Amino acid sequence: MTAFILRSTRFGIRVLFAVMLLVGITAGAAAQTTDPNPGAITLTTGIDIPSVYYFRGIRQEADPKLTMWPYGDVGIALFSGKGGLKSASVNFGVWNSLHTGSTGSAGPSKQLHYEEDFYSTLTLGFTGLNFGITYTAYTYPNQGAAPVKEVSFKAASTSKYAPYGLIAIETSGQADAGLNKGTYLELGAGPSWPLGGGKATFAVPVKVGMSLKDYYETAGGDNKFGFFDLGGLVTVPLSGIPSSYGSWNVHFGADYLRLGDGAVAIGLGTGGKKNQGVVMGGIGLVY
Amino acid sequence: MNLFSFLYRCTRIAVSAGLLLSVASGTASAQTQPPDPNPGAFTFTTGVDAPSVYFFRGIRQEVNPKLTLFPYGDGGIALFSGDGPLKSASINFGVWNSLHGGSTGSKGPSRQVHYEEDFYSTFTLGFAKGMSLGTTYTAYTYPNQGAAPVKEMSFKIAQANKIAPYGIVAFELSGQADAGANKGSYLELGVAPSWPLVGAVTLAVPVKVGMSLKDYYEVGGVDNKFGFFDVGGLVTVPLSSVASKFGSWNIHGGVDYLRLGDGSLALGLGTNGKKNQAVVIGGIGMTY
Repeated sequence: MTAFILRSTRFGIRVLFAVMLLVGITAGAAAQTTDPNPGAITLTTGIDIPSVYYFRGIRQEADPKLTMWPYGDVGIALFSGKGGLKSASVNFGVWNSLHTGSTGSAGPSKQLHYEEDFYSTLTLGFTGLNFGITYTAYTYPNQGAAPVKEVSFKAASTSKYAPYGLIAIETSGQADAGLNKGTYLELGAGPSWPLGGGKATFAVPVKVGMSLKDYYETAGGDNKFGFFDLGGLVTVPLSGIPSSYGSWNVHFGADYLRLGDGAVAIGLGTGGKKNQGVVMGGIGLVY
Repeated sequence: MNLFSFLYRCTRIAVSAGLLLSVASGTASAQTQPPDPNPGAFTFTTGVDAPSVYFFRGIRQEVNPKLTLFPYGDGGIALFSGDGPLKSASINFGVWNSLHGGSTGSKGPSRQVHYEEDFYSTFTLGFAKGMSLGTTYTAYTYPNQGAAPVKEMSFKIAQANKIAPYGIVAFELSGQADAGANKGSYLELGVAPSWPLVGAVTLAVPVKVGMSLKDYYEVGGVDNKFGFFDVGGLVTVPLSSVASKFGSWNIHGGVDYLRLGDGSLALGLGTNGKKNQAVVIGGIGMTY
């Protein structure tokens, strides 16, 4: 289950970036265009195409070919106020990883649908800080891995550098297919800058993943350091699409990963190399 | 793969949405109209149904059902609206699931609850007099490996009037609902008249018949033409107390009587040779 790191990137940062950047970029245009969706429900969807799928530093495929990550998220704004609690929202979503390589249609099952994750998040917003609780069921429709269920807690700042911390606790199954359920810690940030006079945005997500307990188990025991990831992501809003169809964007980027001993040993097709790279592009929509 | 669910899904979502729209429009005209929370080109429909047992096009999917849930989500995009011969064009993308606590789910060989997940996309053209033509591609998948995947192309003609008649022709492109020797072609004809009850509550009576045009209900190398007949009753109650910014919510409950053909009787799990079958269903839905 390698995807979470990139999924984390994609969902926690890429989508967040896309939303934030699009909101920021389109704010100027908002004065001229009518909000197509002033209600309390927000839909986010898209598809990403990475060169290879890593989940929290664990490579998921020995011989990748075309990999696609279609996803959808529905957010419901439950509360907005001016007191200590500024907002409350709940999100439901699904994220998929479709593989034509060795863990997908070219693998033992001959089935494309490697991973499908269902999640629900309750987010409470405070002044400059959001706190989220997420339940995730990681499932593997082509039986390429065993299901994992997890509860995670995330604290994130809404400042320029967008630092965050995430703790995830496996409640059944294990990402490392080890002996014991694990606990995972991720610390990261996602600073961003406008490009081209606001026509695009450049973000630099950086993160480190660690085992608090038994998250990267190998024969030698628990490996504390999971991975380090430094990325660059360019997001370009598709301003030619009418606002009645939501805010679309295309985005592309690259990530450098430095893997720990556990992630190298557990991952498929790492070839013993601790330095890894991922290139990714995609299209997204926020409505 | 029980088509019943699919029909259920198609009929119920369409009926619920239609009824809610008509109920909402009637209600809105008589009262102060709340602001439209979503005047854009996207419509989102979601919900979860809980049937007593899952039939797919008359083929029963479970010997020993326990809790069965059908969560689904659909995103619709209005592409075009005009006054010419072509009145509208839209595209929908959606996913529909069947989660089983019984013998084809968490109590079955896989021990996994996720029996079925269908991905579909529909392109619909609307014409005068409420006529519409929809073309749908569906991938029926079975995450717990309880059945083999099926891919299908279907065409639906429907009329949006009081009786709401429709016809569906579906062609299997790969895999088969009957797990037979040949890919099948399926025909379904139905209606879904509805009436207002007390207040905003609505009663719909969907009636449908499913047939094999070719090799859809194969048993022992023999194609059985008659698949099933289904007549149902569905009561939909809008949850008007939910603020409009959260969309239009409803709860619904109903019952269906099914008369199975020889093919669906033989193919189904746990039919026990009984051609008369029944399904009770309840659920909650939302359109935004």
